Amino acid sequence: MKRIAIALAVSLAVSGAALAQEKTIKIAGFGAKTGAVRSFGVNSEAALLAAADVINKQGGVRLADGSKAKIAVEFYDDRCTAEEGISIIRRIAGTEAIVAVGPTCSNVAEPLFGILQKKVDDKSDSGLQMPIFTDVAVKGGLAKISEWSFRNVPSEWTMYSSLFYWLKTRNPGAQTVYGGVEEDFAHSRASWYAVMKDRAEANGYKVLGNSKWLLNDSNFATQVREMKNANADIVAIAAHPFTTCGVLKEMQRQGVKPKVLIGLTSSSSMETLQGCAKQAEGIIIPTSFAPVTKEGKFAAETTAKFKGAADLHSMAAWENMFILKDVIESEKVSGNKDQLQADRRKIRDGLAKLKETKGLLGITKRTEDREADKPYLFVQATKGEWKVLHDPL
Amino acid sequence: MLDLLQVVSDGLLFGATYALIGIGFTLVFGVMHKLNLSYAAASLGGAYCGLLVLKVAAGAPAGLVFLGALVAGGVIGWLVYLTCFHFIPLSNPLATLMSTVGMLLLIDEIIVHVTAGMPQNYPAMFEDVMLHVGGFTLRGDLLLVFLLSVLCMAGLLALLYRTKLGLATRAVSQQAVAAQLCGIRVARVNALTFIVTGLLGGVAGAMIGAAVGALSPLLSAPLTVKGLIVTVIGGLGSIPGAIIAGLLVGGFENVFQLYRGVTERDFYVMLLLFAFLIFRPGGLFAPKTGRD
Repeated sequence: MKRIAIALAVSLAVSGAALAQEKTIKIAGFGAKTGAVRSFGVNSEAALLAAADVINKQGGVRLADGSKAKIAVEFYDDRCTAEEGISIIRRIAGTEAIVAVGPTCSNVAEPLFGILQKKVDDKSDSGLQMPIFTDVAVKGGLAKISEWSFRNVPSEWTMYSSLFYWLKTRNPGAQTVYGGVEEDFAHSRASWYAVMKDRAEANGYKVLGNSKWLLNDSNFATQVREMKNANADIVAIAAHPFTTCGVLKEMQRQGVKPKVLIGLTSSSSMETLQGCAKQAEGIIIPTSFAPVTKEGKFAAETTAKFKGAADLHSMAAWENMFILKDVIESEKVSGNKDQLQADRRKIRDGLAKLKETKGLLGITKRTEDREADKPYLFVQATKGEWKVLHDPL
Repeated sequence: MLDLLQVVSDGLLFGATYALIGIGFTLVFGVMHKLNLSYAAASLGGAYCGLLVLKVAAGAPAGLVFLGALVAGGVIGWLVYLTCFHFIPLSNPLATLMSTVGMLLLIDEIIVHVTAGMPQNYPAMFEDVMLHVGGFTLRGDLLLVFLLSVLCMAGLLALLYRTKLGLATRAVSQQAVAAQLCGIRVARVNALTFIVTGLLGGVAGAMIGAAVGALSPLLSAPLTVKGLIVTVIGGLGSIPGAIIAGLLVGGFENVFQLYRGVTERDFYVMLLLFAFLIFRPGGLFAPKTGRD
């Protein structure tokens, strides 16, 4: 009888522990998994799953009551369209997810942040109260739209400022800059007009002009001819990989060889090298990730096991997962279904409190307007690979 | 002035890629009086399949990739016929229109899923050849595309007017019921038309990939639109019309871009289309209508 009682007690204890183990914290990811920017969503999802797997293998995340919970990631496809993004965030808000990581595209992030409550505790504002921690959408200054939006994306303003300053000291002979911009893409436009052009002028360069093309364009003869006529020392291309490659190939045809070629942050990925490694040879791009640290290499390798590639965007998703783990633990998130909204608020407040976070390249400073000031490097396309050219920090 | 001429010549040459797509649209319309909206996407699909040659034999010459694209284009053309036309009631014009829209999206998504949307480097012939005539430069690879367009036109016209298949095709295009009564197997002719346009599409996709230097799913929507514009301006069903309209659209596009900027360029191209629809709805070379 005694044996049976012990066995029963043990089995109850084991099943109780198992039940505690089964507790999960749901984190939603969302981004583009269809269309021409599918690779961004695929890589972000892989990085989130990989990071969650690492955390879960280490026992999971500690909750307010001292128990441990596993992290479950569910990823949604927003197709890089604003209406789909808004629809998805509303769907996510209806689930048990305590926070959402995404989106891929700035043209989704901007309107999506607009449907969130602008200021916390503003009872007159019926906006969505769901913390969003962006990994990819990089257009400057978006997090200030709502106090529920946070970003862990690099500051292009800082990176290009530093890049032009460095180029000035490295190539004192180069005096002029000419731009190329994907005119119908929010991020590219903002990157050229508000960042690259501005930062080049601030560093004493004379901007001779810029050529424009559209995201879907395939013929760049006229634009490159304008570029050739300008004969600038530096050409800065604010465009995504497909048109960047089209322009680089046309530059090769027309014999346009600037002293320095600069690319858009988002183009420091395998996409550019897959599309035009030969023509991209020598292009310099500032980026917030390269697998140069032990942690970075581990993150890249683990993400690869989940069929994702490591780049500045997907590795931000990886970082987000570990930052969220720390916030869940420090803010004592309950993980109870009936406390869902309170837990979301704790995540928001926890993210807002952060002054700095651990990143794969080093310490990331958090700004008052919920943006990140991430460490960065300058990489250069060399023989079909991105090699670190300079570490300004 | 030299700038304008250079811009026009660039546009005319690049317009050859539009012409190749336009020919495919117009051929199917000429025979079946149906629009195959998946044509540009299928052509790109063929071009993507051509890249498999490089997977099997790295460093294979561009010509082999083009040949792979041609064969794949033919197969895709036949599959498009089977799925979007053969089993669908042709009497309902909306049915095939919608089935081809569905096919366009399907092909696009297959490409996106296989390549993760990443641009794929595409080999080219005469890529580095630039002909300098006075102050002009002409791209060697685009001259090749232009020559191919003309060859395709000549080949298709020879097929239509010098072969039994062409005779049957013309008969079906003019009066399908009468052709059937004469013993022509209409379904077979239609299938062969799709295979021929598919072969042409494979070449077109490969030439576009070569001209751009890379393939991306981003190309299919603009090519579909340009192909339709070319087909309407050239005259629905007219092969020479498609070629001339392709070159014209390419030329005008560049001129509009030069004078009005890239953001207004497509606006004027659309105005050009509306002008044709209003003042010359049959296009430049409206074919004579058959007996009904």
